[in-house]
Amino acid sequence: MTAPAPTSPAARLDELWKRIGAALDCDGPLSSRVADAALVATGARDATLYLKERDAWVRAGDSLPGAAAPDEIPDPLPEGIFQREGNLWLPLAAEGEIHGLLRLHGLEEAGAPENASLLAFVLGSVVGTHRLARQVRDAEFELKARLLELESLYDLGLSLGGQLDLSALADEVLFRSISLTDAGKGSLVLFEESGAVLLERSVGGDVVSSREAAAWTLPEGGVINNAAATVPTAGKALAGCEKCLAVAISVPDRRLGVLAVADKESRDGRVLDFTATDARLLSLFANQAAGAIETARLHKDAIEKERIERELELAAGIQRQILPRDLPNVAGLEVAAKNRPTRQVGGDYFDFFPLSGGRLAFLVADVSGKGVPAALLVSTVHAAVHLQIDEAKTVADLIGRIDRHLQKFSATRKFLTCFFGLIEPDSGTLRYVSAGHNPALLRRGSGAVEQVKATGVPIGMFPNASWREETVVMEKGDLLCVYSDGITEALDTADEEFGLERLEKLMSAEAPGGVCETIFDAVSEFAGDAPQYDDQTLLLLRRT
Amino acid sequence: MSESCKVNSERRGDVAILWTDGYINNQGGEEIAREAYAQLDGGARALVLNLEKTRIVNSIGISILIEVLEKVMDRKGALAFCGLTPTIDKTFRIMGLAQYAEIYPTQEEALRGVNPQPA
Repeated sequence: MTAPAPTSPAARLDELWKRIGAALDCDGPLSSRVADAALVATGARDATLYLKERDAWVRAGDSLPGAAAPDEIPDPLPEGIFQREGNLWLPLAAEGEIHGLLRLHGLEEAGAPENASLLAFVLGSVVGTHRLARQVRDAEFELKARLLELESLYDLGLSLGGQLDLSALADEVLFRSISLTDAGKGSLVLFEESGAVLLERSVGGDVVSSREAAAWTLPEGGVINNAAATVPTAGKALAGCEKCLAVAISVPDRRLGVLAVADKESRDGRVLDFTATDARLLSLFANQAAGAIETARLHKDAIEKERIERELELAAGIQRQILPRDLPNVAGLEVAAKNRPTRQVGGDYFDFFPLSGGRLAFLVADVSGKGVPAALLVSTVHAAVHLQIDEAKTVADLIGRIDRHLQKFSATRKFLTCFFGLIEPDSGTLRYVSAGHNPALLRRGSGAVEQVKATGVPIGMFPNASWREETVVMEKGDLLCVYSDGITEALDTADEEFGLERLEKLMSAEAPGGVCETIFDAVSEFAGDAPQYDDQTLLLLRRT
Repeated sequence: MSESCKVNSERRGDVAILWTDGYINNQGGEEIAREAYAQLDGGARALVLNLEKTRIVNSIGISILIEVLEKVMDRKGALAFCGLTPTIDKTFRIMGLAQYAEIYPTQEEALRGVNPQPA
């Protein structure tokens, strides 16, 4: 059973407003509620609501809002309610401002219904209130976005503080930079100390070309290019970008990289200008990134240094095994030898080989390079000498064999200088080959010092090389000193070399052990605090 | 990361699952909205947005997600998110999305959340 229809005009009007109120109160989007209320009030067949969005009319509907067609809205807009092409148009205004337009189609009677003005006022208030509510909501959204920026800065600091993985760190910084500036794309490039590209990341397309970014001039606070996205220095256009913002990632003495974002987005698809707030935010991100990147780099360096030190210690251990632990005890000879590496492992090597008939072979070698590669070569030479010494017919033959061994088995193109001697204590005959080595010193009993010069090129330097074997007779009391260039080329703080002359003067009649210590002490005193870059080796031999 | 956001969807009963892949910005947000509205118009009651292949969201993307959420709420439906990175999770909570949409760690939990089984 339905309620009887109201009979008086006042009752009918009252009933109509109740129905309009019900339409407005129901659930659903504003557009359908306003349209429903208008249909109830006017009896029109169809109603369309247009809302003003940033000076443009937008058709409000149940799907995504779409811009009104160019000729859909009369321009200029007539004042008040008007009719056009069979449609009745109601401007929906509140507080003197038009917020919306309602188009009614299919009215039963021509002309505006008698309650049209009242309806426009009511619906204008509804739309105005809705707009106000949306402005409040937008302001709240902006406030939350600022809060998000602050939280992001805080989170980034926490996150980067413990982040030692450069790749993850770069992603974190770039993602937050793009997100919080509403950029359409962004790039981050990090450089090595040498200027080479260490890492590059892009989202949405490249903003920065890694090859060119190192040359960008980026002052403190970054560069905003809203007029056109151009390279800050050269003015060259950046491909695929309209507007850009770039900042340097720097520590006090060095630029670590570049962070750039481009094409700030808006809801309506326009590319917005980057603001000073965006630049400040990006600079803050870049500063945080710089600290974290430097920490990560130092951590990586520390790990690398630790690894190298472990390697060097291991190599030093191997080399300690290679150098003879004890000096040989050979009748008719007194010997002394000492090696002082400048790094944990060096490129100097000395050895003794007691042979049949009371003979003694010995060598001092200095391989090119330092550190682990040099120690490996020393190890190869050590193996070669010990393998070949019993097979070789002469000293020169032995050196040739060592050379061929190195040419065949040495992984890298390295060479060594070497003094190899073979002495017969009974006769004092010393057969030797000096393969590009520093002249050995032979102090005669008279005190005169002779130089025993090279008889060929360094070993391993040229294929098919040969060496001349020489002979010298050591009289009783004569002292032979074979050394590496770390002794004569030791530098003092004024970059002056210790030199051969100083060494010659230290050749005394003392026992070889004493002369050895005297020379090492003199070299140390001469060098003072100056850093030494070459190993120092001495081998002394006196015929008694 | 891909240059534009891709969105795929699948209906399971009256729930639609939407998978995003890429940056949720203006373009990405509109892709999501288009797919979401098509699913709602096709009868979906609830939406589950799986963002496990998305690592960046900007404020335009968030405002579009809010529009989608409002649309779902207008229709008395439900919306849930899953697969969020910690950064996006926090962003959604600060920006108010979590006020009306639940956030779940996994898709299965989200599906159970929007479609509770009768006891």
